[in-house]
Order: sequence, then C-alpha cells, then structure tokens
Amino acid sequence: MKMFTMSADVLVIGGGLSGLNAAMGAAENGASVMIVDKGKIERSGSIGGGVDHFLAYLNEGEDWDTADSFLQYVEKVGRGTAHMSIIEKTYCEELEDSIERMARIGNPLTQPDGSFYRTASMGQPGPYWINFNGKLLKPCLGNAVRKLGCKALAKTMIVDLLTHHGEVVGALGFHIRTGNFYVIHAKATIVSTGNTNRLFENPRGNPFNTWLCPYDTGDGQVMAAAAGAKLANMEYMRMTLLPKGFSAPGFNALTGMGGRFMNGLGEYYMEKNHPAGNKAPRYEIVFQSLEEKRQGRGPLYIDCRHLNEEDITHLKTTLGYDKDTLPDYLEQRHEDLATDPVEINISEGMQAGPTEVTGSGVKIDGDCASNVPGLYACGDAADHNRCVHGAITGGYRSGKSAAKFAAGRNFFADPDTVSTEERADEFIAPLKRGSGYPYRQLEDSVRRIMQENVGPMRSEHGLNTALTKLTRLEKHLDDMKVEDLHELMRSQETRSILEVGKISATAALYRKESRNKPYHYRLDYPETDDENWCGLVAVQKSGDAYECSFDPIKYVA
Amino acid sequence: MPVEFDYSICEGCGECDALCPGDVIYMRPRGEADPVNDNLSGTYDHIKKPKVPYLKYTEECWHCGSCRQDCPNEAITVVFPPDMLCM
Repeated sequence: MKMFTMSADVLVIGGGLSGLNAAMGAAENGASVMIVDKGKIERSGSIGGGVDHFLAYLNEGEDWDTADSFLQYVEKVGRGTAHMSIIEKTYCEELEDSIERMARIGNPLTQPDGSFYRTASMGQPGPYWINFNGKLLKPCLGNAVRKLGCKALAKTMIVDLLTHHGEVVGALGFHIRTGNFYVIHAKATIVSTGNTNRLFENPRGNPFNTWLCPYDTGDGQVMAAAAGAKLANMEYMRMTLLPKGFSAPGFNALTGMGGRFMNGLGEYYMEKNHPAGNKAPRYEIVFQSLEEKRQGRGPLYIDCRHLNEEDITHLKTTLGYDKDTLPDYLEQRHEDLATDPVEINISEGMQAGPTEVTGSGVKIDGDCASNVPGLYACGDAADHNRCVHGAITGGYRSGKSAAKFAAGRNFFADPDTVSTEERADEFIAPLKRGSGYPYRQLEDSVRRIMQENVGPMRSEHGLNTALTKLTRLEKHLDDMKVEDLHELMRSQETRSILEVGKISATAALYRKESRNKPYHYRLDYPETDDENWCGLVAVQKSGDAYECSFDPIKYVA
Repeated sequence: MPVEFDYSICEGCGECDALCPGDVIYMRPRGEADPVNDNLSGTYDHIKKPKVPYLKYTEECWHCGSCRQDCPNEAITVVFPPDMLCM
C-alpha cells in the first residue's frame, strides 16, 4: 500500500454531470483541477449512459417562457423547499451559457434541424422540458475537461475530507484496484457525489436496481457534514414511477408525450383524482399511485396506446436516451408501448430533492458555497441544484466560485486531522480482519429500518425507533469483514448510507408537519403547515449527534 | 447474465472494465474458465491482448448499458434476468 500526495487548486469529488461542469467552471476560470471518481468520468454517475431531458425557459416569446414565469412555477411546485434567490443565481444566471456550453462541447440540446423539442408535464405552465439525445453527453464532457487540462483519477474513492482550522483543504482517497492512497491537497473542494441510493428497501428485490446511480451513496453529504457543513431537505424520501421490475428513468418522456395512468380496474386514476390529471407534479402522482396500490387497485399501468404513430416513434427512440437498455427491457418483456399498457410500479425511496426543481443535500448559497470555507457542492449532492438542468448550471457555478476562492489562497494548508497514515490503516481494517459481517448484511438492515420507520408514512415513535436502531447498528460497522478492495469500497458506502439514514430521520423528526406528501408524510402531523414550516430544515453535526435548525422561506400559495 | 460478452468478437481491449461505473467488470487471463459465469464459449486465438472481460459482481450490475455502447467491437449484449422480466 503506497501513499501518493497530489495537489490542485480545485478538487472535484464525483465526476458525474455536475462534477464535470464544475471542473469546466473551475478550469475555464483559471484553476488547476483534479476530478476524482469511483468510475471513469466518461460514463460515471446517474446519467452516465445517457439522458433525454433538460428543464429550461428560452425566452422565445410566450408568457410562460420567461425567468419570472419559471420561478413562479418553481415556487409553486417547490412549496418552500428552495430559496428563489439561490435558484436565480445558480440556475437562471448560468442558463444561457450552459445551453451554449453543451453545444460547444459537442452535445447540443437541439434536434438535428436546430430546433428545440419541448414538452410539458408535472404541472408546468408551458413545455419547459427540452427533449434531446444525451447518450454521448458524458463522453463529450469527459473530452472537454481533459482538453482543459483537468486531471481525472478513475476508480478512486474519497474517504475523508481534510480540514485545517475549520476549513476544507483537500481529501484522502484510495484506489479500488491497487489499494494505494492519495492525499490530495486542494485550495477549494467541490462535493458533487450525487444523491443517496440503496437507502430504502427496493421493491425489485435487488438494492442495485435503482433509478439513479446505485453507486451514489451519499459519501459526499456525509463527509461534508463531518467537516461541519449544514445539509438541508434531508427529510424527503424521493420516489418516482418506473416500469415494473426495472428501476429505469423515462417518466418525463412518457408523461410529456401524454401517457395516461391506469389502474387494474381500467380507471384513469390521475384524471379521476387530480385537476392536472396525468400532468400533475410527480409527488402527487406517486401519492395517488401508492393509494391505488394500498387499496388493492393494482396492477398499475401507463397507457400510451392513444398516441399517434409519430409520437410513439419519438417516444420509443427517446426512452433509449434516458436509459440505454429500457427499449431492450420492454422488448424482452414483450411489452409494446403502441399496443400494450406498460406496467409500472413505485420506485425505491432515496435521499434526493422533493421536486424536479428543488434539491436535497449540502446547504449552499448562490455561489454554491457551503458554510465551511473552501467547501462547495453542486448537483444532487447540494440542496438547490436538482436534476439535469441544476447539475449543469449549478455545477458550472460551483466551479467558478471554487476557482475564485482558490485564487485568493496562495498556499496549501496541511490538514490538522489524524495523520493520514493512521486513517489509511484504520480504513483498510475490514480487509485485514479475520472474520466479521459481510457489508451486505448490515446494509440490508439499514434499508429495513429506513423502510419501516422513515418511509412514505412516518410518526414520532417510528422516527425515534429508526434513530435508536441505526445508532445500535452503527456500533457493528467496525465488525465488517471484506474480501477485497471492491468490497472495501462497498463497506465504506454502507457507512455513508447508514449516516444519511440517521440524518434523514433526524430531520424528519424535527419537521412537525407534512410536505410534498408522500415524500415527507407525518401521520401525527398530516397537514402542511405553511405558517410554521415553510422553509428548509438544516441539519448540522454537533459532537456525535445532529442538530436541526429552521431556515424559513416566504411563500404564498 | 446481465451483460454477456461474445468472445468470438471481443479483442480484450479492457474498455468495458475501465468505464463500468460500478466496478463490476474485471479482466481475467484468456483461456481460463470464467470464475463467475462458467462461460467457456469460443476459442481466443484472435484475441491479441492477454486478458478478456467478465462480469465479476453480477448482482451489482445497474444495466446502464455503457459497456455495450462503448465496446468498439459491439461484443456485448444485455440480457435481463428472469426475475426482473417476470416481475
């Protein structure tokens, strides 16, 4: 086991969509950049295989197509889960450049004929969803950042942030194949590790069968919290709707093109129960779908049989953009969108933004800065950059901010935490241990505790039970035994997942109301209480425990 | 298996191993039995590189399809397991 020391002005932890945009933002603003990823940047993260949607107003003339209209929509759907001022800075101010940047790196958001293909869904006043072919978006971004001189460490997992007098000064990582360690000194660090998956039980049985990247396990959120950063919106358990058996994205495309939700009795249940029908906000559709299943009216379907041939063709092509293997899945399952209603189910739960426009994670300001000097966050690891549009715009923003901060620092500070050699030895202990529990056993336990107590229906008793059990389970993390470095990585992910569980339950306990049901649904406080609870619950580490505080947001329904 | 390699087309470039986001594809010396999948189809004389890929952590495959997309020889197919297809 060797230890290497490296340095860069800006360290980007997580080379997904937001991380690579952050790297561009930093590099194009004068910083030297090091990107670290557990995979390879060309195909890592939630949209590694492709993506098909980007939410935007384009100022093409209609009333709804403006920043003001868009922010009104965000406010309405967000319902107190984001500051509009931060959305304005991290998204609106970066939007035009971001659309142009995607074109100049080789993956424009337009159709081959140069126009934008736009669709509406989820309660939008106009077609904000730009539909595009993003199958090569990550490879194009990978190419762009390498051309800018950014260094990328592949198959490398960051284990800890390094701090000096309360500032973040870099990170410690290990290589999944060689077992070598890297001490990376950085003047500014950006956490872009995505949301947390494998946190709740999976209806498909396999914890890796997830909607977003299963290898995104909240590592960044947990490290940021350990360094003193506040996290926000961690109480929301995000869920969505997916094809039965395969946790694949495609919901935007299906609802955008006009799919109708149908139950086992042939009733179009969204049209029956919600004024916006099939175009209602996602959490409303999830809520109603859960109700339908609870009351025994499953199976559930999305019915696209009524669409015309042109739309069906477009839909079938687009589904392969958002998930490369979804067309294969439908084919191998003998389901044809044109002639069959496609069976759907509710997804696994995850720690992620409560809407497609408001996020969850490290609490950031308009420059994507956390409250810890030298620490930034973007994408799904941050609380204000949701989805593809937030990752691209917020990512770039965080890079710019980090570069500026780094420019004001003319030295690399030495970390004042425990020696990195000691930490490395401690980290590889599960490999050297004679016997112990497989990581999977403990991780399954976390999922069970979360599903039972921090799931789509919650109560004070349940949430306290979750905290008690997670704290008890935590003591056994040091009894894990792994066979190889790959499993060592997984066992570290297990630690992050458990920690996110604790943070989530803590925030859910604090918020004594319900909001964006079923993402935070307290049976003991079933109503939404805008007077007292419109805003963000911030969680911060205090000794061994987490403390909550409230950041109010003014919102008038 | 979620991802299947056609060793009659594969040239052992290792790109799938390098880019898999989940670190579930590894390389093994060609000619040896696949330790996980017991897949001995074909001979490997055409493979210039000394190693070939195999799916080491089959249950952790996310079915993202990136290996298939980027294989320069189109040697990878995606096969969904029966429990997913029949769910």
